[in-house]
Amino acid sequence: MTHTAMVAWSGLLLGLLFGATGRLSGFCLMRGLTNAWAPTPEQRDGRKLRAFAVAMAVALLGSQLLVSVTALSLNDALYRTASLSWLLVPLGGMLFGYGMVMANGCGARSLVLLGSGNLRSFVVLVCLGIAAYMTLSGVLAPLRVWLEGATTLALPARDLPGWLMQAGLGANLARWLPSLLLAGGLLAWALSSRAFRASPRDWLGGLVIGALIPGGWYATGVLGFDDFEPVRLASLTFIAPIGESLQYLMLSTGTRLGFGVTVVTGVLAGSLITSLATRGFAWQGFPDHTRILRSIGGGALMGIGGVLALGCSIGQGLSGISTLALTSFVALAGIAVGAGLGIRGPLALSKV
Amino acid sequence: MPHSFRHMTLSRRRLLRSSAGGLLGLGLLGAVPSLLFSPAALAGDAWQRLEAAQQVIGDATPESDGLTLDLPHVSEDGSAVALTVGVEASLDDGDYVESIHLFAAGNPNPEVAVFHLTPLAGKPEVSTRVRLNETQQVVAVARSAEGKVWATSREVRITVSGCLMRGDDVPEALSNPRVSVPGSFTAGQPGEIRTLITHPMETGLREGDDGETLPRHIIERFKVSVDGDTAFEAELHQSVSANPYLRFHLAPERSGEAVFEWHDDTGESARETSQLNVS
Repeated sequence: MTHTAMVAWSGLLLGLLFGATGRLSGFCLMRGLTNAWAPTPEQRDGRKLRAFAVAMAVALLGSQLLVSVTALSLNDALYRTASLSWLLVPLGGMLFGYGMVMANGCGARSLVLLGSGNLRSFVVLVCLGIAAYMTLSGVLAPLRVWLEGATTLALPARDLPGWLMQAGLGANLARWLPSLLLAGGLLAWALSSRAFRASPRDWLGGLVIGALIPGGWYATGVLGFDDFEPVRLASLTFIAPIGESLQYLMLSTGTRLGFGVTVVTGVLAGSLITSLATRGFAWQGFPDHTRILRSIGGGALMGIGGVLALGCSIGQGLSGISTLALTSFVALAGIAVGAGLGIRGPLALSKV
Repeated sequence: MPHSFRHMTLSRRRLLRSSAGGLLGLGLLGAVPSLLFSPAALAGDAWQRLEAAQQVIGDATPESDGLTLDLPHVSEDGSAVALTVGVEASLDDGDYVESIHLFAAGNPNPEVAVFHLTPLAGKPEVSTRVRLNETQQVVAVARSAEGKVWATSREVRITVSGCLMRGDDVPEALSNPRVSVPGSFTAGQPGEIRTLITHPMETGLREGDDGETLPRHIIERFKVSVDGDTAFEAELHQSVSANPYLRFHLAPERSGEAVFEWHDDTGESARETSQLNVS
């Protein structure tokens, strides 16, 4: 098997695992945030958010461990930029976060839901994919490129270890100190809740999904390593890949099947298989036209925002953070703020 | 990561053009599928309108069947578009493909590369990575030793990409030549050879951070010889991507030593040798 075929098949496998786990555990940052930030204390439930924290910690530790034991370097990852747009990265994160609340789930969650028969997610995904490519290379791309150029801010370093090394720390210490502190903090917070510890569905879900992130780096960075025909280093992320999948459906004779498309296919298939196997598959449509509008609007905001922020809740929140890239922290903060605006406050979207 | 041609000016120019064409483009989208799904429409005759290609063809009447040009329909990274060109037509005994010329009609210099093949090169199929400035036709012309000529073209659409300036250190030109050859050959049967070398392939058209035009600095010639006989040669132009990658074939009759040489326009060169084992 050629290395590109191996990468494509690993993408399918990782996607299947993500789809099945997502379906069984209900892993979802948006649900986690709405539950945790519910208006009254009785409604609050931090389990889903803690599951996301576990996934972050596992992704971070797993990826850093992978860098230690293999020749893999995460320096070529998209997230480790030398400069960022001080406007577009946080703004994109906010648009994404708000869109996620509007559409009732992020891109990855929509794939999982579509696999279980939720047709609202179909509308979300089509709008998300089109909006992402409009921003990436379509009618909005010139504006994006111009704004990116006009608001560039040079970063002191690409990632936290690089920053700490400038402060005089050794390479290994600079890498492991923030990794262990961050992962330890996330795990300690997640496990401090008795309700969370008593909910294996949530912590197992977080554990498995977190472990898929180093799996993605391994697939593209180690299995896909070839000096002569390099494969782009990537792990799980969903905004551009959902758009790419739509494009692949239309242009497959002239494009090559890559990691992102097979991951998306895998998530959809994994969720579908799991739903059928557990007899959980059920067609769901739109109760009224406002839900259609919310799906369209939410999908479009996630597509545009996800491209501006260089990733979604999974792409920046898990894959990006696992590289300790400075850009990822900015993007993730933007996503949290955007989601917060959608959940509470004057711009809040009513619960449906 | 390598940058495309004249990175800065390019994006600005494309910005203006695409803003104007954006809405019009939406309407034209409907016409695209019919073009894409009929290969006959794609294998157009762009070579007839390209003077550089006409000079290679001369008075001959080129065939379009038998020469294949494999490129993506759409590429988001115009700085390195993977390309494979090959002659599949059957040739008379004793005849062989002597040269394959590549052109990018919309680049500042249409010449991309010329590959000179010999019977020792076995299968006439070459892959490389090229720079494409904008959406355009890529043209290939092949000639056999006995004067048969093929020509074909393909449209490639180039879109803007993330293309964040990475500001990486520039590695030393001509450093780290890499060659991969099969562990063993069957006598006279083609085996795949892949080569890669670090080189900026600076076009001479791009501005540096200080606004000064960066001087042209490219590998102009690549040559492979087996036991002293030239087996494969490539003339490269600015449109070949940074860190030139070449995939081609060798079909040695007996074991021998292959010598790979890269020459750049400053007179510097790099050399790598590899043992070919015929079993």
